[in-house]
Amino acid sequence: MGKEKYVMSSGLAFFEAKEMERLGKFARRGWFLEKFAFSGFVLRKGKPEEVIYSLDYQSEADDEYFSYFEEAGWKHVCTGAGVMHIFSAAPGTTPIYSEQATIKEKYEKESQSMKKVALPAFLIAIMLVVLLFSSENGFLPTVVGDISEYASYATFIVLIFTGMPYLSYQYKLRKLEKRNV
Amino acid sequence: MPRNDSLEVGELTDTSYYILLSLMEPKHGYLIMKTIEEMTDHTVVVGPASMYTTIKKLLRAELIKLHDKSDKKKVYVTTEKGVQLVKKEIERKRLMIQHGEEILANKGE
Repeated sequence: MGKEKYVMSSGLAFFEAKEMERLGKFARRGWFLEKFAFSGFVLRKGKPEEVIYSLDYQSEADDEYFSYFEEAGWKHVCTGAGVMHIFSAAPGTTPIYSEQATIKEKYEKESQSMKKVALPAFLIAIMLVVLLFSSENGFLPTVVGDISEYASYATFIVLIFTGMPYLSYQYKLRKLEKRNV
Repeated sequence: MPRNDSLEVGELTDTSYYILLSLMEPKHGYLIMKTIEEMTDHTVVVGPASMYTTIKKLLRAELIKLHDKSDKKKVYVTTEKGVQLVKKEIERKRLMIQHGEEILANKGE
């Protein structure tokens, strides 16, 4: 068993390409991606090697899905949250996406699933803030304000962790569309 | 965001076009990738993620179907609907080339 270490991620939704390059740099120094960890990755010590990494989102990943990657020379490294799959390969291997239309789909799907949580969280947050102000100004009992305040903290956390990735995917999609013209 | 699905308007992306062509004979995933590479003299290479999403899309649109599932590998084949769409696409591309050639010929090149 080799040594392990934890590195923090700056967020795959925002810096996907940078994060993949960074993992490649670690591999060159002999630290290989082992698995996802909270807000980061666990790396394991090994022999330095030139490796490239790619991330794909797929919620319906089955045997067929993984066999396509394997046959194209991409090794499945780890899966996070059931939908994020990281693959590694030797430099020069065919990229996992060869067509822009399918890259767009990757971000569209992720963006939709983030929106499903972010949008209700956004509406709930607004409602809670309205309740909080109403209670502070004496329109509603103080206890309503107290409950709203604590509930709003939880809601804002959910909103940040889904809303920010949502905006990032939307930005990526817009960039892809501009290039398409 | 409007879904820009070219299949719905009856147009084929390059990847879909080549997958349909290579599935005129039943094949499994890896063989499709290899066939396309050889057919196009390595100018068209389909990545595994693009391959998987395009296969799913062609299945949903009934342009290909599952032919055989024995031996753990799924084997697909182009349907009659798929063949018709390929024919339409070839006709469309033929016209595009013709237009281009005419214009360039008039320009004296």
